[in-house]
Amino acid sequence: MTAPEMSAPELPWAVLEDYRCFGCSPHNPHGIALTFTEHSEGLQTSFTLGRSYESYPGVVHGGLLGVVCDETMGNLIVVRTGLVAFTTSLRLRYLAPVRVGVPYTCVARLGADGGANPLSTATAEILDAEGAPVVTATATYRNVPFGTARERIALSATEAGRLDQALTATAGSQTRQETA
Amino acid sequence: MTTEHNDIVHRITEIVATELGVAADTLAPDTDLRGIEGADSVRLLRVVARVEQTWDVELDDADVFGVASIADLSTVVGDALRVKA
Repeated sequence: MTAPEMSAPELPWAVLEDYRCFGCSPHNPHGIALTFTEHSEGLQTSFTLGRSYESYPGVVHGGLLGVVCDETMGNLIVVRTGLVAFTTSLRLRYLAPVRVGVPYTCVARLGADGGANPLSTATAEILDAEGAPVVTATATYRNVPFGTARERIALSATEAGRLDQALTATAGSQTRQETA
Repeated sequence: MTTEHNDIVHRITEIVATELGVAADTLAPDTDLRGIEGADSVRLLRVVARVEQTWDVELDDADVFGVASIADLSTVVGDALRVKA
């Protein structure tokens, strides 16, 4: 499977007019509105966090960097499998302070199982403008079909139907790419 | 000293050389990591991160911050691989 570099995958959540994901929704004024592009080895997002997300003066809060890594890994599983990925564990190693107002890139990669197992792993790293890693992350996700996740997600019946269709289309799209 | 341990030492030596910007042939298994010119806490943590990525292991901070040499770090990696197996 080869993904075209820098193209933006369609996130299934986009079919919900008012989804509020703190990490990746454009509709949440308190969120960080990450957007993703394909990477030759997975999925990536470029971001710059301002002082609203500060810890020590001039330094981005480490918890936010966990959000960035988790979002990139979780959405990578979603766009590759069409399954809903619930984080079961997330581990970060902080290598250097991340500065506010400075651009960084997060790259996520699937673990050895490629997201195929109900429990699957992924890794992520945040890189500075020179490509040096400043944060590394590993995580495990429980991947479930939308029908299984449905009762844990607050959606109207109409929205649920729309999202179910979008996730099914995502899964079908990946199957077509793999068999092409 | 097993072949596996020697392989780990060899690969960690390469990682240290790359991350710290020194020639691999200037490093020995008992070289004091903090004594290498250019070594600082960020660069040594990058060594640890690269080691974790290379062997797909998660090392305990108590072990990581206790190592003094490439041989020490190789032992920690070997132990982690045995736990994982």
